[in-house]
Amino acid sequence: MAGDPSGRPYTKMSRANSAMSRKWLIDNQGLFFMAPAMILFVVFVLYPIFYIFNASMYDWDGINEAVYIGVQNYIEMFTDDRSFALSIRNSIYWTFLTIFPQMFLGFILAYILTSGIPLQNVFRIIFFMPAIVSPVVLGIIWQRIYAPFGGLLADVGLEIGARFLIQPYLADPKIAIFSTIFVNVWQWTGFSMLMYVAGLQGLPGEVLSAAEVDGAGTLQRIGYIVLPLLRHVHLTLILLGVIGTLQTFALVFMLTKGGPNHATEMLPTYIFQKAFTLQSMGYASAVAVVLLVIALGASIFQVRVLGSRFTIGG
Amino acid sequence: MYKKVFCVAILLLILAVSAPVFAQDDVVVRFRSWSPVIATTNAMIEAFNAENPDITIEPDITNYPEYLVDLQTMAAGGSLPDLIGLEPGALTQQYRDHLMPLQDCAVSTWGEDWEDQFFPVGIEQARLGNPEGDDNIYGLPVLVQTINMWYTVPVFEEAGLEPPTTYDELKALADMFNAQGIAPVMIGAGDGWIRRDVYMQLIHNVAPGLIYEAEDGMASFTDEPFVEAMTWWQRLFDDGIFQMGALGMTHYPAAVEQIQAGRAAMFPMGAWWMQQAGNPDPPPLDENLSGYAPFKFPDVTGMGAPEDLLGGIDVMLGVTRDSANPDAACKVITDFISGAGAQALINTYNDLPAYIGLRPAAFGSENQEAVWDLFTEDWLASVQYARQLKSPDVKQALEDALAAVAAGEMTPAEGMQLVQDANSM
Repeated sequence: MAGDPSGRPYTKMSRANSAMSRKWLIDNQGLFFMAPAMILFVVFVLYPIFYIFNASMYDWDGINEAVYIGVQNYIEMFTDDRSFALSIRNSIYWTFLTIFPQMFLGFILAYILTSGIPLQNVFRIIFFMPAIVSPVVLGIIWQRIYAPFGGLLADVGLEIGARFLIQPYLADPKIAIFSTIFVNVWQWTGFSMLMYVAGLQGLPGEVLSAAEVDGAGTLQRIGYIVLPLLRHVHLTLILLGVIGTLQTFALVFMLTKGGPNHATEMLPTYIFQKAFTLQSMGYASAVAVVLLVIALGASIFQVRVLGSRFTIGG
Repeated sequence: MYKKVFCVAILLLILAVSAPVFAQDDVVVRFRSWSPVIATTNAMIEAFNAENPDITIEPDITNYPEYLVDLQTMAAGGSLPDLIGLEPGALTQQYRDHLMPLQDCAVSTWGEDWEDQFFPVGIEQARLGNPEGDDNIYGLPVLVQTINMWYTVPVFEEAGLEPPTTYDELKALADMFNAQGIAPVMIGAGDGWIRRDVYMQLIHNVAPGLIYEAEDGMASFTDEPFVEAMTWWQRLFDDGIFQMGALGMTHYPAAVEQIQAGRAAMFPMGAWWMQQAGNPDPPPLDENLSGYAPFKFPDVTGMGAPEDLLGGIDVMLGVTRDSANPDAACKVITDFISGAGAQALINTYNDLPAYIGLRPAAFGSENQEAVWDLFTEDWLASVQYARQLKSPDVKQALEDALAAVAAGEMTPAEGMQLVQDANSM
C-alpha cells in the first residue's frame, strides 16, 4: 500500500498536509535561493562578530586560557587609554582631510582631463598610477622622500637652498599625522579623478549645451549643473573614503608604525599592536568591536542622511 | 585476454594505492619561522639532507609581523608545525603550553654537560620568563648576539680618528661630522626595538643590572638612575648626536641604506650586522665587512663603561607538542645548532652561533675575521645581561616613553613614570 515515508497510509489529512507543504515551499522558494548567501553571511560575518564580541569580555592573550572580566576592557579603553583616544582623533582627521581634498582635487583633474586637452588619456594614467601601487611600497618610498637626513626633499632643499624643506615630517608628533595623510591623498586623488571622469562622461551633453547657449559661464555650469548631477559620484567617494579610513593599516604601518609615540596610530594598527605585539587579544577585540560600531554607525548615517544612490561611474 | 588486462589493472591499482604508504617512510618536519631568511634556511636544509636523506623539512619563512599572526592562527586551530622559531621571553612564554621541554633532546645529542657547550647568555635567556620552579628549556638557542655600536672605517680613517670612549668625545665627533653633512650616529628611531636597545646600553652604563630588578618589582623605574639614563637618551637628540629626524625613520631599511652609502659615521646595531657581508651583491662597505668595525657604547657616567656588553638570543627553535615526529624534529634542531645545517648557517655570517666553537668556513678579509674573533672569543663570553625584557607591556611602555621624551612630549621623569605604571599593572 502506498504511504508516506513513515509508512502511514495516505489519508485525507495527509493529502491536505502535503498540499500545504507544497504551497509553503512555493510561497517561500525565495528562502532557498537566499540560503547560500545567508549561510555564508552567518559563517563569515555574524559568527566572527559574535566571536570578537565574546573575546572582548576576556583578558586573553589569544593562546592560553582566557579570564572573564566583563566590560573591563571597554572601561579601560574609554577612561585610561591615550593610544586609543589618539586613534579616534586620527581617524577623524583622516576622514575629513583625505576624503574632501581627494574629491576636490580629483574633480579638478577630471574636469581638465575631459576637456579635450592633448594627451589627456596619458595624464589620466599617470594620475591614476599611485592608486594601483601597494601602500607598502608607497610607505617605503615616502619615508625616503620625507627623511630629513638623506631624504629626497632634504637633499633637494640643500641643493637649491630651500632649507625649509628639511623638516622632521614623520618624526614630529605634531605634524606626523598630516604628513601621513598627505601621502594618502597623493595616492587616492587619481582614483577620485577616475570616478569623476566616468561621471562627467555620462552627463547629458544637451543640458550642458543648453546652459552654454543660455550664457552660463564655466563656473556657473560647474556649480549649478555639473556638481549637482555628479551627486551619486560624491556619495560613492564619501562612502568608499569612510570605509578606507576605517581600514587604514598598511600605509601607516610602513610609514610610521603608528608612531612617534602613537601620534599616527589608527584603529587597525592599534588593534594589530595590541593583539599580536602586546599579546592582548581580548583588549584588541574590544577595540575591534568599537571599530565595528563606528563603521556601522557611519554607514547608517550615510544611507539615512545622504541617501543611498551609490554608483561607480555614470 | 580480458583476464590479463584485468590483472594488470589490479596490480597497477595496488601499486598506486601503496605508493603513499611507502612514501611515508620519508618523515616530514614542518618548520615555520621568521629567521633565518629563506635562502639561508634552504642552504641549511640542503646540508642537513646530505646527511639525513630520510627526513624532509618543509620550511615556511615569513616576515616577523606576519609570522606572529600565522603562529597564533595555527595555535588556535590546533595545527602548529613541528618546529617553530622563538624569541626568548614573552613569545616563548605565550606558547609554553604548546612546546615540548627539550632537555632530553639536548642530552641525547650533546651529553649531560650540554649546557656548557653553549655561550651562557643563550642558556640563561632560553629560560627567560619561566614560572618559578620551571627550569625546562622550551626553545634551544640557534644564534646569539651582542648589542653594541659600529663605526664606518673609511670615514674614521680619512679623518685619522678613533671611535669615542666617552660622551664628550662622542659630542666633539658629532659636531665635526654634522659640519661635514655626515650623520654622527645614524639611527632609525622610528623602530621601537632600536630605541630600547640604545636605552638598555645607557642604563647598563648608569646602573648595570638595575632594570631587571625593577622588572621584578625590587626597584622602581622612577628611581634616579632610570631617569638619568633617560636624560642621556634625550641629550643624544638635543646635542645632535643622532641625525635630524631620527624618530621618523626606520632602522631597517631606511637607516641601513644611509649607512651602506657611507653617510653615517657610527650607528647602533648588534653582532648580526656581520651578515651584511653575506648578502648577494653587497655594496663596497659591506663587502667582506671591510667598511665597518664594532665598538662599545661610549661611557656617559664619567666612571667608565662596563666591561661586558648586553646580549641575547637572536633566534631559538622549539618543538611543538602537536609534532607528529618529535624525534626527527629534535634531530633537525640539533643539526641546525651544531651540525651541518649550523655550519651552512654560520657560513652566511648571519649572527653568532649559540654553540661554542663554530666558525665560518672562510673569511673574506682580515677585518671580518678579527671582528668574528672579537665577538666570539672576547665579548660574547662576558655577556651577563639580556637585551630583552620579560613583559611585552613594559617593553612597549619603555619604547613609547623613549619616543615621547625624544619628541619633547614628556620629560625623562614622566617617561619613566609611564614605564613604572605599565610594570605596576
